[in-house]
Amino acid sequence: MKRMLPALLLLCAAILSGCAHKELSKQERFLAASPRSILIVPVVNNSVDITASDYMLSTITIPLAERGYYVFPVHMVKRVLEDDGLADSSLVHSAPASRLCALFGADAVMYITIERWDARYMVFNTSVTLVLRYEIRDGKTDEVIWKNREYMVYNSDGGGGGGLAGLVAKAVTAAVTRAAPNYMPMARQASANSVKSYPGRGIPPGPYAIDKK
Amino acid sequence: MSSVVRLLLGVVAVACMSGCASSRYEWNDYDTRLYQYYKAPTERENFAEALREAILEGEPSGRVAPGIYAEYGYLMYEMGNSQAAIMYYQKEADRWPESRFFMNKMIIVARNRIKKEPAKPTPAEISPPAANTSETVNPASNGTKESVK
Repeated sequence: MKRMLPALLLLCAAILSGCAHKELSKQERFLAASPRSILIVPVVNNSVDITASDYMLSTITIPLAERGYYVFPVHMVKRVLEDDGLADSSLVHSAPASRLCALFGADAVMYITIERWDARYMVFNTSVTLVLRYEIRDGKTDEVIWKNREYMVYNSDGGGGGGLAGLVAKAVTAAVTRAAPNYMPMARQASANSVKSYPGRGIPPGPYAIDKK
Repeated sequence: MSSVVRLLLGVVAVACMSGCASSRYEWNDYDTRLYQYYKAPTERENFAEALREAILEGEPSGRVAPGIYAEYGYLMYEMGNSQAAIMYYQKEADRWPESRFFMNKMIIVARNRIKKEPAKPTPAEISPPAANTSETVNPASNGTKESVK
């Protein structure tokens, strides 16, 4: 027992020091980093729909900029990366945020991954399932300072939903037809939700939201 | 399950409505126009036109969105107009200090391209030297006249 005492003391010390370093929550980490500018790099698409990444890349800028951040021009950034030999988006996603930030002078990088984008067209019902993963990493520390996962299902029959929810569902799914699917309204909502909808999960308001009234 | 979906859609609806209520910037359907350009790369001119309109609409009230000047400048660069590209990169840099580092880099790229193509100078570059030579020729011709006398 006496022999074990130093070991026990060591263990206690380890536990205590562990308690002293309080783990920062995601929100705290984001606020500590407090980025002014966000670089959105091309989307990684693991779904079967090849157009999905174009939808998500074109719809993310507006909600993020309206949230109060300087958002780098997504199309220009995509082209510049391609010219630098980084046409493969999964290659870009594996690059450290600090390196990407140094390239563009950005504070943080947003990575978007499409995990699922399935449209099922049945006789009386069309359903679309989206699963999207978002991550923002700090350009100084490479740490993940925000992440989110969006899971959405749209049904053309409205899922029996009346009122406001039913109306929005119809507006979104009316555009999702087999002949000429237009996922734009859906992509727009997914992007808006990822940035701000759910309490505690959205991105805190940025500097331009705070500066102006 | 369906009640969960309904709740989700309800949240979505409220979020969308509140999102539509106020817009900080003039976007001119930036998302749709960019997507259309991705779908059909021949639509570049239409995308450029949409950006130009967004700038025209937003500039008087200071509501040009982040990245819009830069996107427009880059399209100008792709279309071969380096001078216009530099002008819009500069506007982006002046409006958004966060973009300065990147814009300055891109201005250098555009300037280098101008330097590399001296084969076809712009009319503006031709006229000043022509005016200068005519000025220097006149006193010389006077001089020769005087010497003849």
